[in-house]
Amino acid sequence: MITNFKEFKSPARVYIPLTDKEYKLANVKVQVNDSVLKGQVLAYKFKGKVKYPVISSVSGTVVEFKEMMDRYGKIVDHCVIQNDMENKQVELKKYENPTAAQIRTALYQVGLDTMNVDGSFTPLDFEHYNIDHVFINAIFVNEPHYSIEYSFLQENANKISEGVGFIAKAALTENITVFIDKNMPQEVMEQVGIACADKNINFVSIDPRNVDGKALKYIHKTLGSKLGNNILAAGGMYMDCESCKTVYDVVVEGKVPAERNVVLSGDGIKSNAVIQTVSGALLSDMIEFVDGYNEVDEMVCHIGDFLTGTQVTTDEIAVTLTVNAVNFSEYGEEEEDVCIKCGDCNDVCPVGILPQNIMDAELRSVSDRIVELNTDECIECGLCTYVCPSKINVLEWVRRARRRVG
Amino acid sequence: MKFITKKPPIVSSPDKSYKRLLSLHIALIITSISAIFMNGFYNIPEEAGYNLDQSFTVFSMIVIGAIVAFLVELVYALSEGDTTKFNSYRGFVDPINTGILIALLLPITTPVYVLVLAVIVGTYVGKIVFGGRGYYIFNPALVGVLFATISFSSQLGFAEDVVTPLQGLKLVFTDGAMQVLSMQELLIGNFAEIAVGSTSIIVLILLFIYLTNTKVIDLRISGTFLLTVLFMSFGIGYILWAFDNGSTIGYMIVNLLTGLTLFGAVFFVSESVSTPTSRETKLIYGVTVGLLMMLFRTVSENVEGLIYAVLFGNMITPFINRTVKRSNAKSLRITVAVLIVIVLIATAAIGFMLQGQLIELQPAAETALMMGGMM
Repeated sequence: MITNFKEFKSPARVYIPLTDKEYKLANVKVQVNDSVLKGQVLAYKFKGKVKYPVISSVSGTVVEFKEMMDRYGKIVDHCVIQNDMENKQVELKKYENPTAAQIRTALYQVGLDTMNVDGSFTPLDFEHYNIDHVFINAIFVNEPHYSIEYSFLQENANKISEGVGFIAKAALTENITVFIDKNMPQEVMEQVGIACADKNINFVSIDPRNVDGKALKYIHKTLGSKLGNNILAAGGMYMDCESCKTVYDVVVEGKVPAERNVVLSGDGIKSNAVIQTVSGALLSDMIEFVDGYNEVDEMVCHIGDFLTGTQVTTDEIAVTLTVNAVNFSEYGEEEEDVCIKCGDCNDVCPVGILPQNIMDAELRSVSDRIVELNTDECIECGLCTYVCPSKINVLEWVRRARRRVG
Repeated sequence: MKFITKKPPIVSSPDKSYKRLLSLHIALIITSISAIFMNGFYNIPEEAGYNLDQSFTVFSMIVIGAIVAFLVELVYALSEGDTTKFNSYRGFVDPINTGILIALLLPITTPVYVLVLAVIVGTYVGKIVFGGRGYYIFNPALVGVLFATISFSSQLGFAEDVVTPLQGLKLVFTDGAMQVLSMQELLIGNFAEIAVGSTSIIVLILLFIYLTNTKVIDLRISGTFLLTVLFMSFGIGYILWAFDNGSTIGYMIVNLLTGLTLFGAVFFVSESVSTPTSRETKLIYGVTVGLLMMLFRTVSENVEGLIYAVLFGNMITPFINRTVKRSNAKSLRITVAVLIVIVLIATAAIGFMLQGQLIELQPAAETALMMGGMM
């Protein structure tokens, strides 16, 4: 249980990565020693011809441009800004009852396109795909192992429900599904129910203690087609409730999306906590803020969801809006057993492909069979590896099989 | 302090293969104790009261089976030059399980050398040759027992006056002699059996529940198998003794509870390594084994038929595994529908065949016991 809630909103310096996983090029708009406002455009990043703004999360002065590791483990250019602690922000237009186009413009202005990257979450891309269905995950990230008091959900229930409405409106759809935790406290449940009373939202309750991919199975069933690695292309938009709250803040209150709740957990650090921070804060500063590391020789720094996140080799990482959790744990390799062909991975797979059979085909190097088994539909959720009683990294075998057939 | 990367997921479920192996180990030890007890205090002439000689025979069979199986694995490990797996109890569990299973499957009259040979064949030819645990195609215990029953069928012979309930069912056709069994005796296990381990029904049912909860038994295989046997024996009995409910239910109960049916459902039918891996194929496998077992029991010379049925199922497992491409609701519906139709047709065919409406069967009594007549 994590009940420790801390605020770390004004770091001395912030480090804004100019590019990311999707957007590989950036066109810088500021120079060293320029003073910038919170929400001011620092650069435009490009994915092909698609252009998105990169904004500053604090007000202050641009100190330098520096090559650092980003949260995906790649070395990219960061814009370093000295915080003047004044928090002056650019004027943003506020909308009372916005239209779809107004919501899209408001989100574009502040560069809010991605808030969840781990697992199957999708970016807020309204332009390039036809969205039929919006799915919201209101379950706490990394839920099977930690649970928090759902205070965030309780406090912001109204904002979240409005935000969900805005996302669906911008996506020109009325089908909304919200996944909620079955074991959520009664009063939170009531609060959410009141907030969503007249919104025509379909609720699906899930017991997150059984890690069985029920949400993904539901999405697969609803969309009814091949999911592949991209739920957007299948007509679904999937994100967490914090994104919805941010969307509400941007559209109605004209706030710059710079804040993010990050869960710091694991036996590698002295105290676990939920930290409200701004994007661009350094992970090492945050660790210092929560009393530092434990005495551990070899540690794994895992950013994102337990099952799907990424790992980095340093803690000099700028936290962005896409970081929802960081886990520091002692490096421990579990002993791999032989595959006992129990078929648990085949049962749990949310898209209904057969990881055990794919692994078998990959071991025997039969490319035809790998293609035949619909290996391309894998969404890399990691559930097969999670359930494996022999502790085999099944997902890695499926990835190898995918690489073999291209 | 140093940061190291490791492929995600970084957490995994608490379920472990070794835990499952250990659950099976515990279940086998309980069955062994039950078998030792049952053979000493039941299944003997009534005036004797108890017979500790039989208890000791069963005990020594189980111990010899376990020791020989372990020795075979140890000799192989020595020849490979790597005995590290025997550093903890972990390495002992699997060979001991195979040894105990073979001992429990053989009759009490088995000579020691037959038992030893059966265990050696089962462990070496059935398991180690294929690469050990996780790689074998056929259930090692059944390979050993099959070898013993084929090669030493006369040495495994039983006294003539002992008639198991399943043999009794065959005699109904030849002699017309009906047997009387009380339900209570059946549940306790006080009836003649070939295999020493397949006695107490109550213990087996409890173990079935325990092993289902610890995920050793997949209910989709064992459950389908039991349902198939239940339905087919009911259908065949119904056709044979039309409208006579007593005989039909009796036929069903004898087929379901006696013989190796329950013992097999607990220990071999859903043994994970040699069975298919996905939902639909597991159902197909369960029905195949159940259907073949009923076919062997009714039409062929075999009294038991389970061992052949399971080995045949193991044999076609790679083929069934190759037929599936993905698992979804549609393929599940098609599989279930096709399987139900197959079971219905097979039941009707076997029932009418036995009744003599389709094929006239030769009287079975005079023909000499062929290969595998024992089981």
